[in-house]
Amino acid sequence: MNQQLSRRRFLHFSGAALGTAALAACQPAAPAATGEMSEAQPAAERVQIEFLGMPGSPDLIPEEQELFHDENPNIEWVLVQQAQGTSRLEQLMALVVAGTPPDTSRVESDVYRTFAHLGLLLPITSYIEADPEFSAEDYWIQPQEDDRQVYQGESYGIGSCWVAPHFYYNVSLFEELGVEPPSNDPEEAWGWDDFLAIATDLTVDVNGNHPGDSEFDANNMERWGVNWPTWWIPLHAAVQSNGSDWIDAESEKIVLDSPEAMQALQNIADLRIAHGVMPRTEALEALGMGGTQLLETKKVALQVDGSWALSWNWEIEGGIGTAVLPKMTRPGTDMQAHLVTVVKDAENPDEAWELIRFLSSPWYQERYCRSGLWLPSQNALMTEESIADWCVAPEHPPGYELIVTEYAPNYGHYLTMPVGYVKAAETALNPVFSQIFNGEARAEDVLPAAVAEANQIMETEQARPTS
Amino acid sequence: MVAEAQRSKLPWPRTRRARRALTGYFFISPFILGFFLFFVGPALVAAWLTMFDWNMIRPPFFIGLGNFKKMFADDLFYQSLKVTAYFSLVSVPVGLVLSFFLALLMNFKTRSIAVFRTIYYLPSIVPAVANAVLWSFVLNTEFGLLNALLDSIGLPKIAWLQEPEWAMPAIILMSLWALGATMVIYLAGLQGIPRSLYEAAEIDGAGRWASLINVTIPLMSPVIFFNLIIGIIGSFQIFTAGFLITGGGPQHATLFYVLYIYRNGLQYFDMGYASLLAWVLFFLIFALTLLVFKYVGRYVYYEDVGS
Repeated sequence: MNQQLSRRRFLHFSGAALGTAALAACQPAAPAATGEMSEAQPAAERVQIEFLGMPGSPDLIPEEQELFHDENPNIEWVLVQQAQGTSRLEQLMALVVAGTPPDTSRVESDVYRTFAHLGLLLPITSYIEADPEFSAEDYWIQPQEDDRQVYQGESYGIGSCWVAPHFYYNVSLFEELGVEPPSNDPEEAWGWDDFLAIATDLTVDVNGNHPGDSEFDANNMERWGVNWPTWWIPLHAAVQSNGSDWIDAESEKIVLDSPEAMQALQNIADLRIAHGVMPRTEALEALGMGGTQLLETKKVALQVDGSWALSWNWEIEGGIGTAVLPKMTRPGTDMQAHLVTVVKDAENPDEAWELIRFLSSPWYQERYCRSGLWLPSQNALMTEESIADWCVAPEHPPGYELIVTEYAPNYGHYLTMPVGYVKAAETALNPVFSQIFNGEARAEDVLPAAVAEANQIMETEQARPTS
Repeated sequence: MVAEAQRSKLPWPRTRRARRALTGYFFISPFILGFFLFFVGPALVAAWLTMFDWNMIRPPFFIGLGNFKKMFADDLFYQSLKVTAYFSLVSVPVGLVLSFFLALLMNFKTRSIAVFRTIYYLPSIVPAVANAVLWSFVLNTEFGLLNALLDSIGLPKIAWLQEPEWAMPAIILMSLWALGATMVIYLAGLQGIPRSLYEAAEIDGAGRWASLINVTIPLMSPVIFFNLIIGIIGSFQIFTAGFLITGGGPQHATLFYVLYIYRNGLQYFDMGYASLLAWVLFFLIFALTLLVFKYVGRYVYYEDVGS
């Protein structure tokens, strides 16, 4: 019993232990149990469908999985956990390169067309056409749904919802100041000059001076009139409200060099530079000071933010109010959202489609519309009866149904981002946006050349080999 | 014949020397395996990819010297090189001098010196991401600590991270905050200098300054040289600050080289080009290291070899 272990035997044992550990590590992970159904059904009879980038709330997912498994006992919906310190895009690409792509994935709108172009996504047009509900003419809010889904005649994904930027304000601040807040009705949208006058009136330094007053001290502000973030969703809303486009839907070219688009962007830059009614928005964002904090502390009177922010803004002290954005020439906003897609190499595309279908059902979408996170993309959730059920307090302020039923669907425009857009924007557009919003250049002086360069980059990217 | 027969019964490997070597290889095998699997292997694949257009979705497509032509015509390649060189040229010498000065201070035998050493070392163990978030607060235009200081002495606010001319100084300032690690290496070197040399210098009439120039710096030159090399390599690999705080902006003013590699690989799905850029960086750092060894290494004093 007291025998010494020889080095040779020690090495043998160590080698065996290491080998076993390595084999165990290489074994695929056991699927996570997903409720009673997974215990009741033998694993061999069920098809596993992986989903990367779950769009919903972690609290609600178990109930969603349970219902999905009840409706599809032969399919097991497995969530691919987001790897720490890695973006979803990086993780998706790593899984693709490793030859183990998920069956289904959330894909952001900026890379959707690029992925479709590169052949990562499975065309699902035939599934949609064969589906009696989804193929019904009035199922989706149109034309926005087709604008985002269809790339070169094929659908490669379905949008989970819509989101659109609009105004938020702290109700108690407007009551204190005795100022009439803006409306949720697009017919009553403020004109740009009216908006500027009100924003100037709402902007005040620590000594009570307004922009234009001789004593006004822009370095010691009590409150800014407005915060209009200078990233693409709020900027696209501004471009739309001046009757222009970011990208021409037909040619898929960037058209920010149109006089209207350049004027719209310059108008936003001038809110800070010429009128002094807006803070350096990017500086506030870097501080982690989002719209919610600015509204709650009453540092900003009117905040432009995405509709998704309602899901937490409704809780702010003083109460939240919403309104349509001011119009430069017409009411306008952006409509955007990620898509749920089937990856082309999915082993079980039919079952993968069933999951996509479930994630696009009214039952699923309504849960997140109710919480204020999403706006519907399905007409079934836009009926008077349905709105009265989900678009209610405390998450939704009075009159919000006008944003849902009038503003977004009638004045919202989807920003199509063509193949190579991300590179074009980072390389050519963002640097000149920085110049414009820093006040170093005017839009009309720098945008034409930048737009030409961006379109050239997209053209080059689109010409890269795909097979 | 008997000895040979006995030896043939011994377990393989049969000589004591070979068995010892095998044991040695076994114990270093985790590193060797990791080195080949996670460094040499990917590096070779990256070298092969330099001749291909690979979007990571379809198989690599051979384009010959296409990526090389693209690189020479790519303005952002030169911009990222310029930005990285600027960062390196300023942050490395300033960092070396400041951390050396700090180490000299921390080498004084005073009460509570351990507390000061800890305080100065602590920032270097703050995770890079936390460091980036912290500094984005300090450098904030509207509510940042630095602008509050400027305001208190009547100077105007600076948009540190939004204006191209200020973004790089801001990031250099941020990088200098983590001098602690270099300081500790200097401190270890300083404590290795024999006391007798200072006493001899003192007897010869040397003051503090003369001792620093004639004793401390020559004897510390291997450590300074080491920190210089490590500093150059590290500065050319800077990524986190540009990625998290400025996103390469404003106007590409902080588009560091590694950030540009990352963008090409994982945002523009151009892994062949990203691989070429990565290899160029390798050769660049390699060449710089050789140059530094050749032209700076000659001034390093190694006591045991006397040169």
